[in-house]
This record gives sequence, C-alpha cells and structure tokens, in this order.
Amino acid sequence: MRLVTGEGYWSPLAWLAAAAGVLLLAGLLWSRGRRDWKRGTEEELPFLSGEAAPEGARVGGQHLYWGFVEGLRPYVERLRAFHSGFVADYVAWFVVVLAMALLVAMV
Amino acid sequence: MNLAPHASILAIAVPLLGGFALPLWAKLHRRLGELWLFLVGAFTAAMVVLLAVQVFTGGIQVYTLGASSPGETLAPGGFPIRIMLVVDGMGAFTALISVLVALVSFLYAWRFLTEDHGKTLALTLGLLLWAGMLGMVLTGDLFNFFVFFEVTSIAACGLIGYRTWEARGVEAAFKTMVMYTVGGLLVLLAIAVLYGEHGALNLAYLSSRIQGSLPDRIALGLLLGGLLMKVGAVPAHMWAPDAYGEAPAQAVILLVANTQASLYGLLRILFTLFGGITDPVVGWLVTGLGTVTLVVAALMAVIQTDLGRLVAYGAVSQIGYMLLGVGVGFTVIRARPEYGLVAMQGGIFHMLNDAAAIGLLFLCVGAVERAAGARDLRGLGGLSHDLKWTAGFFLLGALALAGIPPLNGFASKFMIYESSFRLSPILTALATLASILLLAVFIRAFQGAFLGPRGKPSEPEPFGMVLAMGVLALAVLALGLAPDFFVRHLVAPAAEALWQGRDLYLAAVLGG
Repeated sequence: MRLVTGEGYWSPLAWLAAAAGVLLLAGLLWSRGRRDWKRGTEEELPFLSGEAAPEGARVGGQHLYWGFVEGLRPYVERLRAFHSGFVADYVAWFVVVLAMALLVAMV
Repeated sequence: MNLAPHASILAIAVPLLGGFALPLWAKLHRRLGELWLFLVGAFTAAMVVLLAVQVFTGGIQVYTLGASSPGETLAPGGFPIRIMLVVDGMGAFTALISVLVALVSFLYAWRFLTEDHGKTLALTLGLLLWAGMLGMVLTGDLFNFFVFFEVTSIAACGLIGYRTWEARGVEAAFKTMVMYTVGGLLVLLAIAVLYGEHGALNLAYLSSRIQGSLPDRIALGLLLGGLLMKVGAVPAHMWAPDAYGEAPAQAVILLVANTQASLYGLLRILFTLFGGITDPVVGWLVTGLGTVTLVVAALMAVIQTDLGRLVAYGAVSQIGYMLLGVGVGFTVIRARPEYGLVAMQGGIFHMLNDAAAIGLLFLCVGAVERAAGARDLRGLGGLSHDLKWTAGFFLLGALALAGIPPLNGFASKFMIYESSFRLSPILTALATLASILLLAVFIRAFQGAFLGPRGKPSEPEPFGMVLAMGVLALAVLALGLAPDFFVRHLVAPAAEALWQGRDLYLAAVLGG
C-alpha cells in the first residue's frame, strides 16, 4: 500500500497509524482537563476578547481568518478588477492566451 | 449478440440517441422517463467499463465505421479515410471519469430536480453532454473531435442556462457560449489548416505526416489556444466561475468532467498529434499557465461570499494543478523520464481526484441551496443541525481538495509537488501556497454554512442526493487510502499511453 513517487513514497496506512498515535495523545491530554464545564450556560457564549457578547452574537465564516483575508485583499482586489464580468473582456484575455500559444508554437 | 467488439461506438451512440428519446418516454409517464434514463446510463457505463477492460488488458482498441469489419482501418489504397474510434489508456481513463461523474449526476438529479424545474430537459442535456464527452475521448478523427467538442459546448451552455426563470444562469450561459464559440472556431480553423496541408483528418495519419512546417505550427497554436480556454486556464478562465457558479449542482459536475475531456484533448494534441515535433517550450507554457491558474483562482476564492462561486474558483484552481503536473511532465519527460513520468501521473491522477472531490463539494452546494434557499455565506449558518450528511461530505471534500492526508487530493498533489520541485522549487512553493489558501477558504466556508446555532429549520436531504454524495465520498476515501492501486492499474497505463504510446497509436491505425 505504498505509492512510490520517485523521490520517496507515500503510505496512507503509515500516516493513519501516526494519526492514531497523535489522537491517543490528544485524548490523554483532554481526559486530564477540567470536568466542570456546563452545557447550556453562559460558558457556551463566544469569547470576544473578554467583552460581553451582544445578543444573538455568532462567529460566522466571514470572521474566520479575518486578518489573513484583509491582508490579502489589496492584492486580490487587483485580480478582481480583471474579472469585470464583461464578455468582451473575457474574449480579450482569451486573445492574450491565444497569442502566447501561437508565439510558443512558432518558436 | 456479442456487443464487446462494438463497445466503443455503443458508448457514444446509446447516450446520444437515448438523450433524444428521453423526453418522449417522460412525456408518456414520468416513471418511464426515469426507467429509460436508468437503462441508458447503466448500458453506457457497462460499455465504457468493458472497453476499458479491453484496453487495459489488450492494448489499443480501434473501431472503424463503415468498414466490412471494425478492425479494417485502411481503405483500398492504404489510406485511413473512414471515421475511426481509437481508444488507448488515456482515452479509457478519461471515459471512466465521465462514467463516474455522469452516473452520480443522474442519481443526484433524480431527487434534486422536479418536473416543474425542467428535470427532463436537464437530464436530456446531461445525456447529450455525456455522449459528447465520450465522443471527444474515444474518437481517432480530428474533425469528429471538433464535432463532439461542439456537442459538449452546446449541451453545456444549455445546462448552464436552461433555468430561464433565473437571469444569472442565462447570463452565465451566454458568456460561456461566446467563449466556447470563439474557441471552437479556432479549433475548426486549425483543423482546416491541417486538412489543407495534409489532405487528411485522421489523427494518426496526420501525426505521421506533420513535420513542423509553418501551417503545422499555426495549427498547433490555434489548437492550444482553443483547448486551454475550454480547460479554464487563467486568464482565459473567466467563463468558468460564472458557469460553475450558476449552473445547478447536478449539471456543474458534468461541466467539470467536460473540462477534463478538454484537457484530454489538449494532451492528445500535444503527445500524439504533434508528439513528433513539439519541444519543451510548449511544456513551459502549460506549466506557467497552470501555476498562474492555481494561484489566481485560490486568491479569488478567498474573497468570495457566495458558496457556489467559492467552490467554482476552487475548481478552477484544481485545473491549475493538473496543468502543472502534465506541463512539468511534458517539459522534462524526454530528458528526465524518472520524474517527468511522476509529474505526468500526478497530473492525470489529479483529474480523477478532482472529479471526486470537487464533484462532492458542488453536490453539497446544491443541497445547501435546496435547504436554505440561499448560498450567501453571510446569511447562512447552522445547517449541520439539519443537513448532517451534507456537512460531513462538505468537510471531507474540502479537506481532500486542500490536499490534507490521507485523502485523495494529497496523493496526486504529493506527486506533483515532488516532481515540480525538481524543475523549479518556486513552482512547488506556489502550488503549496495555493493549497494553504484553499484550506483556509474552505474552513471559512464550512464554518459559515454549517456551524453555529440552528437557524430556520431545513428539510433534510432526500436519500437519492445523500446516496449520490456518498458515492463520491467513498471515491475520495478509496482513492486516498489506496492510491497505489489506482495509479498502478489506471493512471500509469494512461500516462504511458501518452508518453510512449504514440508509435503504438499510429501502428494500431496505420499498421506496421
């Protein structure tokens, strides 16, 4: 069950065995944690830097990796500008690819 | 009657004719239509599997239409003038992918669509698209390749825009149609140039005659341009997020398979038709476009808030990985076959892995849209309370697509990373960066759509949809846990057929 890749190999079963060991260790650590957590109390509320959570507060998908996304945004917005939604622009970019293909084919 | 010698033509003819007959049966009774679809789907799948077994055990299969026997490839005078189907390992591999995707698509549509929402029309177009894909990958004739290329284009645009009551789908269909038409015209022009130069349309015969003259090279450039557009390579990819994002889920996975049929066409052109004259610089073009594709699409996915468009950009980025793998392979395989072949296998294996993982994600998007009536991640949440299966399948597909071991995406990406590193570590670094971006994107999407407190109660997914998603989830697990089995029995013969199979391909048609 080994996928030979030239440089080495990949064995999913070996990985699963290692993952099982890590899970066992994690389970051991978890079992030694506090047992006084109560479901249905304020302990379930999201932790917002120690601030009181507003009514109906929820950490949604758009909040995850917020800094990561905002950091990338200036670069991505430039890319978004290319995706104008105008079909004439689509064809223009296709002409660019065609020109590259013809150039390479002629070499 | 022994159907085995006719498997290749039946694999194309049955879904083509069955698709046109489907509305007639459905008109008589809805159940008759469903029964007909089941029969056509099962028979076509059986023919493709039979054909694949023939190819993987007995080598290239040739079927000549209009001859006194299917094996009679040359007309009197020694010229291959008849229409011919030529199936090698790569053709059989791509046809098997289309079978997996088409059967899952029809199973999903069984409960996903209703007659009020154009079910029969969608299934008819789906069968025609499948027939077109099979025609593209099984034909040995360049003009027939163009005909089936157009069949897939028309059926695909129909599938994107048949929901005429939704403006965005129609707009996406129009844009895709414009791009497909321009690309198709260039492919036709290339075929006309080759016909004018060599007076033939048979792929093997043309391959034996092409010497690298100026018209030959112009035809190569035109074919490369047209096929790279249909594959969805950046920057000619812009139709793809529109199409994938707006088509209904059961149609999108067929569009993904159609993209892979076009990638097959690109590989056939590079390795077989122009295999005698192309040099590594073409491989660099494919490698470069693949790298740009995977990075740009992953970056674009970061800022999407529509779940459908987010997965659509994920799908485009996976095309980049396939192009990177086969591009690296094409660049170095003659000089360094030991890692060029691994790169080729990685790119080809990723076709199958992508079909399973991204197909699963698109089906999950369909289930979300059906349950919540929306796809905007800013308004979704808590769907795992009602859509338990969909939530699990989405997580599985997302992790697979991001290349998390031991799921299937990892195995093929690992092969691509290792081999591209030998060509240039920058390629590997960019490919890894794109995978990290995709992991972040899909974790955000999973959190946004499925986690959190329960919102408006949603109806659970019907059994047919769960079953369809389950088939792809099983494929993701099986391909991930036993990659060596699939690489040895399916991927390696496909890669060998491209790399070292040109002479065999020509000999199977032209003799000698």
